[in-house]
Order: sequence, then structure tokens, then C-alpha cells
Amino acid sequence: MRTPRNVDVEITARCNLRCRYCYFFDNPAVDYRDLPTDEWLEFFDELGALGVMNITLAGGEPFIREDLPTLIQGIVRNRMRFSILSNGALINDEIAMFIAATHRCDYVQVSVDGSRPEIHDSCRGKGSFDRAIRGIRTLQRNKVKVVVRVTIHHHNVHDLENIAQLLLENLGLEGFGTNSAGYLGTCRLNSDDVMLTIQDRQAAMEMLLQLTKKYGDRISAAAGPLADARIWHRMEQARAEGALPFPNGGRLTACGCANNKLAVRADGEMVPCSLLPHLEMGQINRNSLVEAWQNSPILRELRRRQSISLKGSKCCIGCAYIPYCTGNCPGSAYSQDGEVNHPSRDGCLRRFLQDGGTIL
Amino acid sequence: MACSKKPVANPAIVLREEFDDWGILFNPDTAAVVAINPVCVAIWKLINGQNCVNEIVDEIQDCYSNVPLAAHDEILEFIDQLAKDSYVGYEL
Repeated sequence: MRTPRNVDVEITARCNLRCRYCYFFDNPAVDYRDLPTDEWLEFFDELGALGVMNITLAGGEPFIREDLPTLIQGIVRNRMRFSILSNGALINDEIAMFIAATHRCDYVQVSVDGSRPEIHDSCRGKGSFDRAIRGIRTLQRNKVKVVVRVTIHHHNVHDLENIAQLLLENLGLEGFGTNSAGYLGTCRLNSDDVMLTIQDRQAAMEMLLQLTKKYGDRISAAAGPLADARIWHRMEQARAEGALPFPNGGRLTACGCANNKLAVRADGEMVPCSLLPHLEMGQINRNSLVEAWQNSPILRELRRRQSISLKGSKCCIGCAYIPYCTGNCPGSAYSQDGEVNHPSRDGCLRRFLQDGGTIL
Repeated sequence: MACSKKPVANPAIVLREEFDDWGILFNPDTAAVVAINPVCVAIWKLINGQNCVNEIVDEIQDCYSNVPLAAHDEILEFIDQLAKDSYVGYEL
């Protein structure tokens, strides 16, 4: 497409929390500083002129910015919609009311990692659970659509049933998304304590599949144990039946982000994705976004990733799942092995089985 | 709709043009998205409050070859539909 439809904007490098598995912080490639209001407004004008449709505001913690209403007005003035990713702790009635009044907010996503404070706070800090729930209720009270992301880690993996009950029954949310703590950012420093072991992963997969029988599509996953359980089941079934390769199988096709969106770091550097912050494509307002989108060698290379065969990777030699595998997230691959054009170890079914996991 | 009236595009609607000359009409207030073919993109760009439907039809016939006879009615129908969906309005 001529220009991206969506842009992920890390609107701030500041956060009121320091979560132990955060992908954002502790990345040596990133310059953690904020841009002034005018820089973002000028950028939003450019996005509006290019017909960008949606902006996702992330960070850091977007609600920490005192000028958030001004920035949102800039988005609205430029005929775009927005969503916000948040820890929920700084949301009050005033800002929630403001957001609702724009009629342009698709959702505010709040992170909840436990059914009670001890579990959620274990990775997010004391008091963060109560503030997240308060934030959710504030958004609901002001009729702002709330979605929740549950990041599954070693300390909450056995709390999933209670989390589902809290979110879907007690809070009455339409649904929630799941993911797991990945080897990125701050998590790299705490991985032994925070990341899922093979047993944890197995337990999470089993529990989430069970919960989806009860709650249906109210529990979703683009990545993490539930997504793995589903795709790995399909892959194993295909392998056992000797099925034809999947249409997108056998190549690094998992990530399509480079084809419809890009991201901007808090310091204004354009990058393909927040999980590939080292791939710098130019500074907003100094370099043309259209030029970066259409001609950046970095994006061109990422788009060519879909033609790279898994057979060329040493770690895939002899793997029976190649025809059905798509290589998983390039950001995860880079963080683990220093290579973007490489399958991700986290998403490897063969490795999971070799480590003692079983397909459900 | 009288063919002498001059339709005006709703200023809130965004036209996104793509490489294949197709376009998307995006309503940011409702998140509604409509894909339109290259001819409709050309028509949309003429809906500026200065051209009546007959003039828009004439302009399209000048830009394209082999324009079918039904073009007038089809363009009228397209603009009518846009008006029903509030993508287009008319000056009072």
C-alpha cells in the first residue's frame, strides 16, 4: 500500500511502573527521551495528510503525558482514530470523559496479570493491581471501550482460571487477550525468574484451551501459549496426516507488519515495529514517512522475509514441521539470536517437544 | 436527486488512494471503510460542491474511453448511495 494504514506511536519513554518483563525498557539500542508536544502534532499532521487511519498510543505509559489531551486532539483533528495501551494506574474520570467525547477511541487496553494483588503486583509493583482495576472501572463508567491484555509468566500461570473469572464475570469485559513474557527488554534481565518454563507453558496451554471451551472467543491470543496451542495442534495434525504444506508454510511468513504499519519510538525514530527498535529508518519531521515507507531498505528487506525458506536455517535442519511452520516473530528471533531473518526459538514446535512438551 | 444539484464530500471522510488506483473511503467517526474502484475515486475527487452530477458525468466521459451509456445512471446511483451513507451532502 502507498502509506501505512496504522502507526504505533510510543508517545513517551516515561512510565510510572517498572514491570519485570517489560519489552520496552533496558534496550541498549533505544534513546529514552520524550519529544515535545509540537513535534508530535506536526507528525500527526503528516499522518493525516497521508490518509493514515489508526494510531496506537503506547510507551512507556501514555497517560503519564500531561499533554495527552492535546495530542489526542491532534489525532482527531487529522481525521484518525486511536487506541491506547496502558497499565491503567493513571486513568481518572477527567481523561476518560475526554476520550469518550472524541468518539474516535477504538479501545484502551489495560494490562492485568492476576486475579488478586499479590499475583499481579509480583511483576508489576505494589499497588498496581488495585490501580489497574480502578482504571478499568473508570473507563467503563465513562463508556470507553476497555480491552485487557494478560501477560502470562511464571508467577501467574496457575491463576488463569481466576483471572478469567475476574475479567469476564466480575468486571463484565467482552474479552481479553493473552500473551507471554518474551525474551525482550527488561525480561532479559529477569528471564530465569519470570519466563515460562516448559511445564508452565504446558500448564498454560492446557488451562487456556479449557477456558476457551467455557468462554469461547472471549479469550484471544495473537501470540503466547493459547496461540501456540492452536497452531501447534494444527501443525502436528498436518504432519501426522502427511498433509500438503500450508500455503504460508515453510517460509518466514509469520509477520506481516511491514506491509501495513510502522512504529515510532519515543525519541521520534521511525522503526518497523516496537519489537525491532534498533532498525532505524529516519526521524519524524526531518525525514519523509512516505519515503521511509516506500523506499527504506530496512522495510524492503523485512517484506522480502516472506520469501526466505526455513530450510536455509541451521536450526530447522531435519525438522518435519517445516512445511507447516512460519517462523514466528522476527523481533523475538532478533532478541534471542541476534538475527531478524531467522525463526524464533520461542515459536519452535520441535524444540518444545524436545524439551518435554506435548501437543494437546 | 436532481442532476443539477452539486454534491459536496463530507469533510470528515478520508480518501486513501492505493498503488493499484483503488481507494478507501474511511469515516473516522464510525470506523466504516468502503473500498472504491478507480473510476469511483475519480468521481469522489469531483464531488467538491462545484460540479453538478451532469458535469461529473461529462468529466468522467472525457477521462475514460468506451464509457457505457449506463454510466450516467450508475454515477447517479453511486452518488445517491454516498448521500444515503452521509459521505456526501448538498448545499441548501
